[in-house]
Amino acid sequence: MSLEMMVGIKWVPNTQNVRFDPKTGTLIREGVPSIVNPADLDAVELALKVKDTYGGRVRVITMAPPSAVKGIEHVIGMGVDAGVLVTDRVFAGADTLATSYVLSQAIKKLGLPDLLFFGQETIDSSTAHIPAQVASWLDLPYVYYVDRVEEVNREEGYAVVRRKLEDRYEWVRVELPAVIAAALKSQVPRPVRLSEKLRFHRDKPLQTLTNKDLGLDPRCVGLRGSPTIVAKVTWMPEVPRKRQVFKGDAREAARWLVKKLAEEGILVREDGRWRVRVA
Amino acid sequence: MEGESRMSAETIQKTPAPGEEGGEMPAILRIRLSKKVDCEKQCPEWECLQPSQFDKVWVVGELEEGRVSEPSLQMLTPGLELAKKLYTSLEAVLIGGDREALEKAAREMIYHGAERVHIIHSEALREYMAEVYARVLAAYAHKHRPDVMLFPATMRGRELAPYVANTLRAGITADCIRFDVDEKTGDVDMIRPPFAAIMLAYIKTPTRRPQIGTARPNVFPKPPRDETREGELLWARAEDYGVPRPRSRVLRVERIEKKEIPIEKAEVIVSGGKGVGTHEGFQMLERLAELLGGVVGGSRKAVDMGLVPYERQVGQTGKTVRARLYIAVGISGAAQHTVGIRECGTVVAINKDPEAPIFQHADYGVVADWKEVVTELIRILETGEEV
Ligand SMILES: Cc1cc2nc3c(=O)[nH]c(=O)nc-3n(C[C@H](O)[C@H](O)[C@H](O)COP(=O)(O)OP(=O)(O)OC[C@H]3O[C@@H](n4cnc5c(N)ncnc54)[C@H](O)[C@@H]3O)c2cc1C
Ligand SMILES: Cc1cc2nc3c(=O)[nH]c(=O)nc-3n(C[C@H](O)[C@H](O)[C@H](O)COP(=O)(O)OP(=O)(O)OC[C@H]3O[C@@H](n4cnc5c(N)ncnc54)[C@H](O)[C@@H]3O)c2cc1C
Repeated sequence: MSLEMMVGIKWVPNTQNVRFDPKTGTLIREGVPSIVNPADLDAVELALKVKDTYGGRVRVITMAPPSAVKGIEHVIGMGVDAGVLVTDRVFAGADTLATSYVLSQAIKKLGLPDLLFFGQETIDSSTAHIPAQVASWLDLPYVYYVDRVEEVNREEGYAVVRRKLEDRYEWVRVELPAVIAAALKSQVPRPVRLSEKLRFHRDKPLQTLTNKDLGLDPRCVGLRGSPTIVAKVTWMPEVPRKRQVFKGDAREAARWLVKKLAEEGILVREDGRWRVRVA
Repeated sequence: MEGESRMSAETIQKTPAPGEEGGEMPAILRIRLSKKVDCEKQCPEWECLQPSQFDKVWVVGELEEGRVSEPSLQMLTPGLELAKKLYTSLEAVLIGGDREALEKAAREMIYHGAERVHIIHSEALREYMAEVYARVLAAYAHKHRPDVMLFPATMRGRELAPYVANTLRAGITADCIRFDVDEKTGDVDMIRPPFAAIMLAYIKTPTRRPQIGTARPNVFPKPPRDETREGELLWARAEDYGVPRPRSRVLRVERIEKKEIPIEKAEVIVSGGKGVGTHEGFQMLERLAELLGGVVGGSRKAVDMGLVPYERQVGQTGKTVRARLYIAVGISGAAQHTVGIRECGTVVAINKDPEAPIFQHADYGVVADWKEVVTELIRILETGEEV
């Protein structure tokens, strides 16, 4: 059998101006165009690189409303083989526990891949929970912050990946199957090719799973299966600032700033030199 | 002998606290004790436990090269506040394989406010592995039932906490900037800025315990250190909680040499945005930062343009900084940026657009071309000229 890979992708609103409904605490998504979460394209790229070297199959999976088919089309355009859309009204309103539960059950149903990739975090709620939670549900080892897959040995059942931490790289040997979360901004996702997109329209490599297929208890999914609830949404309190503004000549402005910072006790002039006073 | 001290699962203590003798039970305790969860409504895959079976606020600390990390100590600040409001005590949890280092770290946690430190030890835990640590922590928490668990959202904490939470089938709220207690329900409000960063979402987990939350480094100050503080160390053998066979291991490590101090530790930050625009521009900011004994940071657009490395991005998806002096140059002041500078002492903004929102978030603003102002600032600092 050849190498099986799967990548979780999220369909997210692409704007900085998504607003909240303060009454329900939910996002107002109407009229806001969506995109594939940018970090997930790093994960797709990482998986496609493994495929470039070792062959095999890459599928994506997303739990999302049906409009996310557009996102699946996008990554198929990058060279992904097929997509799975997990969608059902009862899945709506899920927190990360309930999202990861449904994803895990769907992945189990589809058959565990050798490598299960995720992005580091999303742009809409950026919890970075999902990869670890899916690993916990499926009882798989997991590695975060991966920027390279150095080796995959399916016969012996392991992979070697490199993870990028703040102050070091670590090469980790992990048993397969494994969950891999791609380091943020670690890849340059390949462009979408028209020929691949045409394949999407010709072959329709798309599978849809609803709760009819998964048969999950409604108490375990969606809003009902979510231990966290958004109780209320308020404005962020402002930090009090002095808000003094200088307009005019740039040279004067610089002198004004130095004067103000001296008044604050941040800059001091000693022996003909300005220095920052250590607190 | 290991000298283990075993604890049984505690429930909320009904005895009045010292100083309250003979007095009424505090309202919040009464509420917490009487909280009932309808097990019929819960997912049958989860063990249904009553919130009243859980007590204490835990801060899970981490060791970095054998020492307790700053972000772990910082989490004791909200931990202490929650413990007071919940009428319970603040405890820390440490896990690892180096007894001496663990004990030292535990003392630091006590000097910074923890009343008791659980130390889960095993030789098998000498090397950190997310999955192994997370499973032992989850088993330990399952037995001892803390009401609240806080993790620092460091790179480690961010991979550890969701696995622990999921294994306990508990809710988890990421990157909180405040914590509070709802006096009506006894639930913790985990408060985080979603998406737009101008709003705050109050997230609760009313039916599940422990209530788990994380906060990014620097969002909270470290509590004052007091070496005279005493506290209890509770040693536990990790094996009693099941140490799983590691399925991953580190083969090799390569240090990334860094000359500069990390931005989250800098006292002075000169941060540039799209308005600075070029590498040459950022070299001028480097010079200014150097003269001020600080470092350079940037907005997300500056990062996206390749002018600043991602580790130096300030804001919601970058770092929260606590500099004494933050100078924003050519940065418009989007909410996702300014959320990262809330804890800074003095904020200076240089921007040519008088309407730029950054001026609302600055103590001292200059409306001008950044290049002229920065050139002049560098000159004054280089010459030591009086102003
Ligand atoms: C304001 C707000 C705050 C929230 N805060 C929390 C919170 O603190 N705790 C909580 O439990 N829930 C929270 N949620 C709910 C959370 O947004 C959803 O559960 C969401 O479905 C997954 O979380 P995430 O976007 O943070 O994913 P992350 O964990 O950040 O995503 C990591 C990776 O998982 C994969 N992934 C994520 N979602 C999917 C999907 N639907 N299908 C396939 N792959 C996916 C992607 O590869 C992604 O890169 C919040 C929601 C809102 C609106
Ligand atoms: C989910 C999400 C998360 C995000 N996270 C972050 C984050 O962590 N950090 C972050 O910074 N952003 C973040 N952003 C992006 C944020 O919304 C803004 O787009 C970004 O901060 C803008 O960067 P900027 O100020 O450099 O650029 P711009 O907004 O383009 O501003 C450039 C400024 O430079 C000024 N300027 C131009 N020329 C000159 C000159 N010659 N002299 C003086 N001034 C000049 C202009 O007047 C303007 O105000 C996030 C966005 C989203 C949606």
